[in-house]
Amino acid sequence: MSDETQNPDGAEDGAEKNHGVLYIGMDLGTSRTSVSASNGVRETVYSIVGYPKDVVSKKLLKKDVLFGKEALEKRLSLKMFKPLEKGVLKYSDGDDSERQAVENAAKDLIREAIRIAKPRTDELVYAVIGAPAQASINNKDAIIDAARATVDSVMLCSEPFAVAYGLDMLEDALVVDIGAGTTDLCRMHGTMPDESDQITIAIAGDSVDQKLAELLERDCPGAQYTIQMVKDLKERWAYVGEPAERIMVTLPVDGKPTEFDITAQVKEACMVLVDPIVDAIRRLIGSFDPEFQHKLRNRVLLAGGGSMVRGLDSAIEAAMERDLGGGKVIRCEEPIYGGANGALKIAHDMPEEYWEQLK
Amino acid sequence: MSELKKSLKEAVKRLAYNTSVDHLKKKGVKRVNVLGLDRIVSLIEEAVHRSLRHKLVTSEREEIVDATKEEFLKLLKSNEELKARHEAAEEESNNLRIQLDRLQEELTERLNEAEFQRQEDYEGEDEEIARRVAELFERQSADLPEEMRGQVYELIQGVVGEQRREALEAREAARDREVDNLQRRIKKLSASLEATESRLSEVASMKDVETGVASIYREVQGLQGSGKEAERKKELMADIFAANLKLQSKG
Repeated sequence: MSDETQNPDGAEDGAEKNHGVLYIGMDLGTSRTSVSASNGVRETVYSIVGYPKDVVSKKLLKKDVLFGKEALEKRLSLKMFKPLEKGVLKYSDGDDSERQAVENAAKDLIREAIRIAKPRTDELVYAVIGAPAQASINNKDAIIDAARATVDSVMLCSEPFAVAYGLDMLEDALVVDIGAGTTDLCRMHGTMPDESDQITIAIAGDSVDQKLAELLERDCPGAQYTIQMVKDLKERWAYVGEPAERIMVTLPVDGKPTEFDITAQVKEACMVLVDPIVDAIRRLIGSFDPEFQHKLRNRVLLAGGGSMVRGLDSAIEAAMERDLGGGKVIRCEEPIYGGANGALKIAHDMPEEYWEQLK
Repeated sequence: MSELKKSLKEAVKRLAYNTSVDHLKKKGVKRVNVLGLDRIVSLIEEAVHRSLRHKLVTSEREEIVDATKEEFLKLLKSNEELKARHEAAEEESNNLRIQLDRLQEELTERLNEAEFQRQEDYEGEDEEIARRVAELFERQSADLPEEMRGQVYELIQGVVGEQRREALEAREAARDREVDNLQRRIKKLSASLEATESRLSEVASMKDVETGVASIYREVQGLQGSGKEAERKKELMADIFAANLKLQSKG
């Protein structure tokens, strides 16, 4: 964080610490929601919310709402919600009851994300939430409403900007935040990025899952799997370039566990990310001041869960060499928490009067 | 800092247990690795430093280290308090159980004693009455037929028995009051024991209560410095605020 901090206690030595200010940075993602807080807590939860289907399941589960992995495990007894799709709250226009249900699920998810940050009840909680650059005003309103129920003051900021701010890459850098639903690109040039500095594309982690499922359908006859199983396979094995080892997985065929070699399929699925990302990079670089284009090209930062695909940085560099005449790609050290850490840093650096006005 | 080191040392000492070389030998231990207190304390510091090294600048790291240590000591203290409360509740519970057992034993003992005493008293009395009636017959009417003597004796026994029954009823009434008092005390003790045990289980479950983790900040921070980088960041903060103000004032 910044080196211009006050005494962390803000009180004279020896004074009883009875309350404080807790900053929370949150990356509200399609697949995962991560939080980093100024009490040292860093947690992540799958962005999945489940409500008991009926009184019997409620009595059995002994809970009104379940989240993440626990919800996935008990999904047969639950009405499941994945409130975010392609980075924004998911509901069909005109269906008020669906909209209400999704908004409630988003509220519960945000509440859970704040709960896992372990705030003390006597502390003021100030949160910055990374939202997709192109989220609609309605969506942002819903996120703010959801957060306001549990925090004292809340602000939204663009997700890729938060990643860049967290890493102090405010100038001459191009952030590529590969999430599950969207890939957000943002060029940083020392000032607040505006709409023309940001591109959101719908090719991201979920696209890899979709492609891998199609390839398994084609090349693994009879194999039975769910999209969650495909996601788990991807998270474990994802790579592009040269494989480190053969990827042998066991999938049931008519109930019988059967081994398949999916090395080529995983690579092909992951490769769906490369060209659309390089195309978006090209668009952002191409529309930038020609004098500084080379600087952007040589400082492309990969962040988000999707950047954990092994060899992706090299594959993007190779494609940039082909399409843009070269470039340098670096990876964020902590892809899962890059957005949350950046949002936490913004929260910390935000002046008090701003927080006060938004209370 | 040195105060904290001292507290950490004390904490580690409290958590450690004593053993003897002979005991270790019996367990088949021939060599032991010795880790000094100073080393343990420095290891805790090092662990915190390492985990934060890449995330934070030095000044903040120090602050977090101190805050973490404070939190650690606070947790240790609260754990000790919890333990003390648990032990006190357990002791109270044990005392109540002892009292309850003692009262119940006392009650049984008294009842048995009273019964035994009664039997003994009656046997002695019966013998004495029989002796005196026989003496009276000998003195006053030695020629009275044996059958008549028996009838007179039965009559006397009947009158005495009636007297005894009345006396017994009076005694039992008095004893019942005593027993009733003892039983009421036992009931109260049982209720008290129940409450203590409920408190004990409450204390035990308190281990799972989430109290949260304190933030390292007591006040709102915000950018404080000057310079080009700080100025740029202040502008960025102002931009983010303006966008949020616009968004949130619409709501």
